[in-house]
Order: sequence, then C-alpha cells, then structure tokens
Amino acid sequence: MLNLLAEPWGVIVSHARACYPRECCGILLGTAAEGDVRTVTTAVACVNAYQGEQSDRFELDPKDQFEAQRAARRQGLEVLGFFHSHPDCDAYFSATDLANSWPWYSNLVVSVRGGEVSHARAFRANDNQTASTEEELRCPQS
Amino acid sequence: MPTVLIPTPLRPHCGGQSSAEAAGATVGEVLESLTAQHPGLRQHLFNEQGKLRSFVNIYLNDDDIRYLDKEASAVTAADTLTIVPSIAGGRA
Repeated sequence: MLNLLAEPWGVIVSHARACYPRECCGILLGTAAEGDVRTVTTAVACVNAYQGEQSDRFELDPKDQFEAQRAARRQGLEVLGFFHSHPDCDAYFSATDLANSWPWYSNLVVSVRGGEVSHARAFRANDNQTASTEEELRCPQS
Repeated sequence: MPTVLIPTPLRPHCGGQSSAEAAGATVGEVLESLTAQHPGLRQHLFNEQGKLRSFVNIYLNDDDIRYLDKEASAVTAADTLTIVPSIAGGRA
C-alpha cells in the first residue's frame, strides 16, 4: 500500500498543474514498513528531461535521482518510487511506463484534465517489466 | 576497496545489502568484481554483449561516468560508485 501524506501530495498536485499540458515527473521518498506499507513523506518535483514532445512522455534526469538517493540515505529514508502525470488522459500504467520502469518501485500516475488533477493510481512492475499490478493508494484526494 | 551503493530494486540480488565493497582500479573492474560476488546482479547491469545496460547510470562519487571515461574511469579505494536506475515513460 502506498500512503501519501498531505505535504508530498500537495507538491505532486502543484507540479502536475504547473507542467500541464506537459507531463510532470518526480521522486517519492519515505519509509517502507513491515506489511508492505510505504509512506511517502517527501515528493521531489523534477524537470522532465525528455528531449522531445513532453505532452505524452517523460524522463527523469539521472542527476536528480542521484541527488534524491543521496538525500534519502542521509535522512534514513528510501527512494520508494516515482510519480508522473498523464495530461488529459486517465491514470494508467502504459506500455511505455512499464518498459522503462524497474521492479520494486511504486509508480504513481496522476491524471490531469484541463489543468486540474482528476485522480491518481499507483502501480508496481514485476521483476522483468512484463506486467504490472495496481497498488492500493491512500492519498488526500481519495 | 571502493564502495558501491545499491538501489533498492537490486538489493535482493546483493544479499539484501544497501552497499557492497568490490575491488578494481576502474569502474568496469569494480562492477565485474561486484557481479562476480553477486551473479544475480549481472543481468540487471550488463546486456548480452557485456556492456552496461542503457537503463543503468553509474556515478563515481559526484560524477556521471558518461562524462568521465565511462567504464574506464579510474577508481581508488576511497571512491564510491552509485548505481542509478533510469526511469522514463509516458501515456504514449
């Protein structure tokens, strides 16, 4: 289960609105507890580094991930996963998302319609990125 | 020996460790040594041609090795390598 606290959710919503109609992206930091409950305490808004049309693609800059990994280690947190938005589209885990994902991480997808956040869902990829499963999501909007 | 920081998805292939020490004078040698100790890591780091996978970024201390000498970058015992997974996607 992915549990998003109010502050990181606010960061995600603001970033998704600001980037619309382009896809936004960022990194989720927090704690992973027994019973597979992941609590996101920090959301890091990142620049979409995709070199091309960003209305339907995103790419995280490895430097941002490197810095996030370092910050997480210093704070005793984990990189729990990543978030990105789907402008004017539902929140699903696309074939592109799956092919470019890694196992274990939570992948939060936020639907933004007309510039406002509509809904969000979370997914995890299997070990060889051939399938994903939806993860229970708890966040202020749901 | 140089230290390699392991991202969470790869820790199951590295005895659950968040970091590991591996010998070598270059980035390539350190990664070879690491995967010799933990063979399960190999498929995640290298492709069938033995080259680093495009989905894997390696930092030597604060620098992406793509902007150094790539896998030939020199490493000392005090250095830290960080494995950084590439993440991308989109609705398309």
